[in-house]
Amino acid sequence: MLLSVENLNVFYGEAVHALRDVSFQVDQGEIVSVIGANGAGKSTLMWTLIGLLRPKSGKITFGGKTMNAVPHQAVQGGMALVPERRRLFPNLTVRENLSLGAYLRHDRAKIAEDEAYVFSLFPILKERLGQYAGTLSGGQQQMVAIARGLMSRPKLLLLDEPSLGLAPVLVNQMFDSIQQIARQGTTILLVEQNALQSLKIANRAYVLEVGHIVREGTGQELLRDPSVQAAYLGVRQNKEEVLQNASAPPAA
Amino acid sequence: MIFQTIITGLSIGSIYALMAVGYSLVFSVLNFSNFAHGAVITLGAYVAWAVMVNIFQLPFLPALLISMLGAGIIAFLVERIAYSSLRHRRAPSLYFMISAMGMAIALQNVLYATIGANLYALPPVFAQDSIQLGTAVISKMDLFAFGFSILAIALLTFILNFTRVGTAIRAASHDAEMVSVLGVNLDMLVAVLFLLAGALGGMAGVFMGVKYMVYPSMGWITNKAYIGAVIGGLGSLPGAIVGGILLGLVEALISVSTIGGVPLSTYRDVFSFGLLALLLIVRPTGLFGRHVEEKL
Repeated sequence: MLLSVENLNVFYGEAVHALRDVSFQVDQGEIVSVIGANGAGKSTLMWTLIGLLRPKSGKITFGGKTMNAVPHQAVQGGMALVPERRRLFPNLTVRENLSLGAYLRHDRAKIAEDEAYVFSLFPILKERLGQYAGTLSGGQQQMVAIARGLMSRPKLLLLDEPSLGLAPVLVNQMFDSIQQIARQGTTILLVEQNALQSLKIANRAYVLEVGHIVREGTGQELLRDPSVQAAYLGVRQNKEEVLQNASAPPAA
Repeated sequence: MIFQTIITGLSIGSIYALMAVGYSLVFSVLNFSNFAHGAVITLGAYVAWAVMVNIFQLPFLPALLISMLGAGIIAFLVERIAYSSLRHRRAPSLYFMISAMGMAIALQNVLYATIGANLYALPPVFAQDSIQLGTAVISKMDLFAFGFSILAIALLTFILNFTRVGTAIRAASHDAEMVSVLGVNLDMLVAVLFLLAGALGGMAGVFMGVKYMVYPSMGWITNKAYIGAVIGGLGSLPGAIVGGILLGLVEALISVSTIGGVPLSTYRDVFSFGLLALLLIVRPTGLFGRHVEEKL
């Protein structure tokens, strides 16, 4: 098991209980998706995992080590976060953005290898190296954000809404790239509002609703789950069916 | 005459620039005006006085380096004492500014209480300070201060643009939180930031001490440097440099001008602050203010 999260509780201030007893795990080599509506706590989960938010209680174990809410430790241990809305440094060139992804590394030869690897994933970036990241198109910026995440050679890549704001054709390319990264051996935890696409590529998935994990299963199971279909996939059903499914216990 | 004035202006302007760069560096990452910077500059000058006059009689260059190091360390300590806990609690900028003012007052009063309010001179760098160039008399110290300031700022620019830490500082000026998510230790980065700002401030303090005197309230001069930083656009490094030098030039020219036989030198500060007010009306972000737009 690469990542294990036990009974995580995260608050904003005193009043807002953003994550409630969240437990889940991610195994080596998997793509695990977390789907949920706006405000369900998906990004909160990501920021907590990378160590920027301190949980009130609960335990995060990564690669056999307990994580202490220090981003430095999480990155050193092999996590990398590609945050929602990319958060590139627009005042820096693409090359500089990538180099910051490898900030903690000193193995020049391997950094060069990884640079070649991200160019094989996103060839266009090679032509844009000297350009300021802020001048790129949205799709290219998302590529830089993912490439920057990969430059730390992470064991676990945390992707927060990578398809947000992209044109439909680019969304498909993005999900292809994610699968390609997974095939190269990087484990992926994907948080998405685009439930259909992210369940399709996921080995396993969790449904997050107002801070609770309410469903879990393989990607295919959740794609067939009527309550997931109704809430996240836009499939219409008659009322009794929904009520019946809503009261059913979550799949183990 | 005009040539001489320009050299004087460039000299004081480059010293303003040295100090203004310190304001801008800190502002660009931590988003507050570090009003303790003047006290750090003053302490830098006192370090020079200690190693050149009071305790040792070191020559100028080693004394300059020691003062820069000393001021850098003092700036770092100020950050640890006055700002780091605010940073960790993500306090609003106003708290930082109040803490900075408190620190400035405290440090200045420590000087009054220990060393006293006396004015001390630093030994001149050149035995024969002026050179005759045609009709103009130019101060070697002015040329020297200008040259060294430019050199120091060039070195800083190199560090910011071509080293890992420098790249991280520039990135942090846009999004410090994201920089920490990439694994950069922010405490370390901020320490480097204050060391750099302090060292340049220390250099400015030594030049001020040689040109004028060393005394506890000499840090007041940083108000001018701060104006320079604002004119250039707070947080912008080229802005701080251009703003500082521009202000120095304007002041030097005003000092030797007259209107209808009335010398303007007594109105020098009116012009400095007037220039600031005017610029803020025309261009509120300063000459090089940031306009980075992000695509969503």
